Amino acid sequence: MSDQPFTNLSEPRLASNWAAATSSWLPAVILLLATIAAWEAVVRIFAISAFIIPAPSEIAQSLVAQWATLMQATLVTAGEILFGFLVSVVVGVAIALVIVRFDWLGRALYPLVVLFQNVPKVALAPIFILWFGYGLAPKIGLILVIAFFPVTLSMLAGMQSVDRSLLSLMNSVGASPTQILFRIRVPHSLPNLMAGTKIAATLSVIGAIVGEFAGASDGLGYVIQFASTQLDTALVFAALLLVSVLGIAFYYAAEILERIVVPWAPKFSQA
Amino acid sequence: MRIEPIRAAGGRPAHIRHDDDLIAAKGVSVVMARQLVLQNIDLAIPKGSFVSLIGPSGCGKSTLLKVLAGLVNPTSGSVSIAGLSPVEAARKRMIGLVFQDANLLPWKNAVDNASMLLGIADKSLSRAELRARGQEMLELVGLGDSAHKRPNELSGGMRQRVAIARALALDPAVLLMDEPFGALDAITRDSMGQSLLEIWQRTGKTIVLVTHSIDEAIHLSRHVHVLGIKPGRITESLDIGLPYPRDLSVTEDPEFVRLVVQLRTMLRASHQPGGAS
Repeated sequence: MSDQPFTNLSEPRLASNWAAATSSWLPAVILLLATIAAWEAVVRIFAISAFIIPAPSEIAQSLVAQWATLMQATLVTAGEILFGFLVSVVVGVAIALVIVRFDWLGRALYPLVVLFQNVPKVALAPIFILWFGYGLAPKIGLILVIAFFPVTLSMLAGMQSVDRSLLSLMNSVGASPTQILFRIRVPHSLPNLMAGTKIAATLSVIGAIVGEFAGASDGLGYVIQFASTQLDTALVFAALLLVSVLGIAFYYAAEILERIVVPWAPKFSQA
Repeated sequence: MRIEPIRAAGGRPAHIRHDDDLIAAKGVSVVMARQLVLQNIDLAIPKGSFVSLIGPSGCGKSTLLKVLAGLVNPTSGSVSIAGLSPVEAARKRMIGLVFQDANLLPWKNAVDNASMLLGIADKSLSRAELRARGQEMLELVGLGDSAHKRPNELSGGMRQRVAIARALALDPAVLLMDEPFGALDAITRDSMGQSLLEIWQRTGKTIVLVTHSIDEAIHLSRHVHVLGIKPGRITESLDIGLPYPRDLSVTEDPEFVRLVVQLRTMLRASHQPGGAS
């Protein structure tokens, strides 16, 4: 407005702020929308059968039609992921603490933990079903064996990277190993631990789905497997979409947790 | 056993002990990884003095400081701090340590960092008492108004001030400092040195400073010991006669300039390997 010259003063800055904010995610959104559009077009133009590749519109329809079933399955899977993730963090932290605090036990345990890491754990799923049945237990067990390792490893790295001269300071005033562990090593390891926790969150999603593949009567993994036997590929994709949403949600939950637990970590100090 | 005295340039032989010596090292040798790091060190540090150890890289001056702190055991020889072994002295909170890296805990603020070691050394102190002590020490080092800042909000010089406050909170008899200002820029370094002098004069602590800097050694110390390499040993000792209190203007004093030249000559000689002796 030409008769309101002053209101225009702030506009260029606002516009550029908005431009800066959108320019960071706009390319990704454009690519995503373009991919979906191309996908829809290819499926329609070449008349590809829905049980081979369903069009995005068919996936959306399936999502809406099966909404209640899918939501119920999502809740079941989310519960497994959350429970399994928490157990993995607790066990992973406990193993790391034992390895660092009890030198002898650590030297016995650490090689075994690394050795176990080389077992293809997805292959353990049928055994867990055999041992624990079709309920929650085999899923938690599978998530645990898949997800505890990054927690243990990252916390160990953090606890063992304490500066030697800081340890000298502590030793000079007669600090006990337990004091050094809980006052220095554990808090010092938290930024590393939170990074490991984010990896564990992602792996927990995989663990839950694999566990449901191997044997379940509920959950998104079960829906995927059931729908694929029915050649309902659109429903498979709809469930996959929800698994991805769960994965992203857990990852960001872990990231928010990180900001709460270690606001002093170098990563956040510039903000 | 009689050891040939190493003649101090302007005073008594470095190793001759007086009643007022707080720290006495006798015939200290250290072998690490089959290398003779320190050879037959005799050192007497009078109570309340400010002593610098200077020498080329690899002369073992940091190792000597660690021996005095009880962090490294001498292979032979002995160290006494007020009649105690260094480890005993450290347990009685007689030794304050400051390293080149401040090594503050990033999750604690300045005042909690300053009282952290004291809290471990004396479990009877309450949280409020520790805070009060930490605050008092921060004020002593000129950081009274930064008590609630975290290390990442402090400059390098301020972090090192907190590290000094942390050492002083133990109320130690001696402050052992290993290149405490080595990572700081020249201007910050000068003002830190000046602050350290003021703290020294106010508290009457005995200070042993390991440094690379000739100017810093002369500006601050009453006695300077020069260490030579291969093996690490005390080659010369120099008394700094400049009167206290000193400030930075002392660096323009003709006597200061003369001492710089003298110490530089000694340091040059200390770079020559000593061979067998």
